[in-house]
Amino acid sequence: MITRRLFTALAATVAMVPGLAFAAEMPKPFDKPAEVKIALVRYLSTGDFFQAYLSGVEKQAAALGVDLRVLDSRQDAALQADMVDQAIALGVDGIIIQHGLTESMQAAAQRAVDAGIKVVAFDVNVENPKIPQIEQSDRDLARLALEQAVADNGTTWTAGYVYVPGIAPLDRRDETWKAVKAANPGIKQVAEFGTLDNPIANSVANQARSVLSANPGINVVFAPYDEFAKGVKIAVDEAGMSGQVSIYSADVSTSDIAAMREAGSAWKATAATNPAVVGEVSVRALAQLLAGEDPGRSVIVPPTLITQKMLNELDIKNMEELGAKLPAFAHADVAVPAWMPLPKR
Amino acid sequence: MQSGSPNAIDLAIKYGFLVLMAGLIVFFGVMAEGFLSPHSAVFILQSVAITGILALGVTATLVVGGFDLSIGAVATSALMLSSYAMVVWQLDAVSAVALCLGMGLLVGLVNGLLIVKMKVPDLLATLGMMFLLVGLQRIPTEGRSISTGMTLPDGTTASGIFSEGFLMLGRHRLDFILPNLVPLSVVFLVLIAIGVWVFLELTRHGRLMYAIGSNAKAAGLAGANVNGYKIAAYMISGTLASFGGVLLAARLGRGDVASGNNLLLDSVAAALIGFAVLGASKPNAFGTAIGALFVGILLQGLTMMNAPYYTQDFIKGGVLVIALVFTFALSGRGGRARG
Repeated sequence: MITRRLFTALAATVAMVPGLAFAAEMPKPFDKPAEVKIALVRYLSTGDFFQAYLSGVEKQAAALGVDLRVLDSRQDAALQADMVDQAIALGVDGIIIQHGLTESMQAAAQRAVDAGIKVVAFDVNVENPKIPQIEQSDRDLARLALEQAVADNGTTWTAGYVYVPGIAPLDRRDETWKAVKAANPGIKQVAEFGTLDNPIANSVANQARSVLSANPGINVVFAPYDEFAKGVKIAVDEAGMSGQVSIYSADVSTSDIAAMREAGSAWKATAATNPAVVGEVSVRALAQLLAGEDPGRSVIVPPTLITQKMLNELDIKNMEELGAKLPAFAHADVAVPAWMPLPKR
Repeated sequence: MQSGSPNAIDLAIKYGFLVLMAGLIVFFGVMAEGFLSPHSAVFILQSVAITGILALGVTATLVVGGFDLSIGAVATSALMLSSYAMVVWQLDAVSAVALCLGMGLLVGLVNGLLIVKMKVPDLLATLGMMFLLVGLQRIPTEGRSISTGMTLPDGTTASGIFSEGFLMLGRHRLDFILPNLVPLSVVFLVLIAIGVWVFLELTRHGRLMYAIGSNAKAAGLAGANVNGYKIAAYMISGTLASFGGVLLAARLGRGDVASGNNLLLDSVAAALIGFAVLGASKPNAFGTAIGALFVGILLQGLTMMNAPYYTQDFIKGGVLVIALVFTFALSGRGGRARG
């Protein structure tokens, strides 16, 4: 009997030790993480980027051990605001607002703050000093891609530009493009086009075909969104101009990697922030707030430059390998206090 | 006096749209450098090939007095299914295409049965099917696009590839006047347009379908298998839509997550514009093909002149409204008797 009791006690102690050590390091309320409830209130959810963002949120929430609720309004601005109220009613401790419209979300976010809930916002400005903004720096994205374009092609080229105004991240990327054009008078933009008609790549390919035949002198296309770049690449291939045109873009996905690595591909470089990392950072910033720390008014996730050459040299075939072989892409050193548990890689 | 003016109106109704199109070509030929070239003509045809094929399917359902809202979703489902078949299941091109066409046929059959047997109104039945397919096509990949090297939900990596033969459907070019000029998708559009035209205009089955569209009861009393032809029309529509999706997959080279709503709207617009061509005042294959071409010429010319996308939408809408006025106001007096 004694031996058995001793054994049980020993086993219990051994099991307790890491738990105790863990709990001692964690600030409140993460000493009892299972009792912490957070909600992700989404505006956009369809597509690879948003799917990856969600996986990042889920991974970091699991690493912390908190209870995550996902509320998805599927591009319904009014419903998204209602969902914030729903989250308040659920009694969550923290809310991540992912995209949305300033007009509809500002009041809802304020109601959550008034209810004593900690809130962070990703890619939507809710005009509230108590709410940190998580941002992927679109200006840096555009800057990295354009610096590579200048490094590859010098400062004198004929440019085609793909742009749809009124989309916040594209507008921010556009600011950088305007600045680069102003700084380099040798860059001559002869055509601007773009559409968000679904499937975007197909519609942009049709437009790009017209543009390339009207302006055969184009040698660089700046397409600061990967769906645009895909469309331009299809058109360049169809026109047999892949030897003469170079495409620079922003964002990345597994199929983008394949397209960039095709033999003789015109798609030379892209700059991207890993959406999964942005998701992780969103949760970490919220966790810091809950623990009484200040992640700062704006939390910027830095982008990485990905060139065709890098992909070929490191033989990267998909997003997972990109994360494994380009460590800068897999993890951002943002919102990482010493106590923060990170997702397993 | 009586004989002069009706003739002018008749002429305007009959040839107005074709004259408008000729005028458009001349206008863009002068305004946009490089518009009048064989390459440019082929671009236009290629850009309308997929919507044109879908529009011919819608035409078949319009002929029997129905409507198919699910074609865009069928096309994107075929896009996802063909990609999934090749990349994940590693099937060859022929099986992938056969699978997609079978899927389109099945969806058409279900649509037809819902409408004919379950008495669900056509718009509602196909609307339900549209939502069902938009959701269904995303379940296997958890909402992500399909491409070689993607990570599957179970953690493994998909190693299949789009086979060369499949990609040829959307990318191969035939020598015609100039080498490597005409893409295969354009050849498919022309063949399907001729096929649908011959079927609707020259065969007994086609004429019966028109009869069902104008008065189903009378056609039924005259001995036509009304339900059978209605189901057949939806099956034609589903199959053509899935073929459009296959061509889309072959052009993109990946399974893109897309709702297909724009495909639906563009092809419906082409079919409706087709009502006005040659004063037909009814759905017809020739008109649909011309309607698709008209929209293609307009968008190509406007893009070459650097017009932004919203003005293009605006002008597309304007053309549709004018075409509908042609159809319903100007030639309304003659009605279907004219056709």
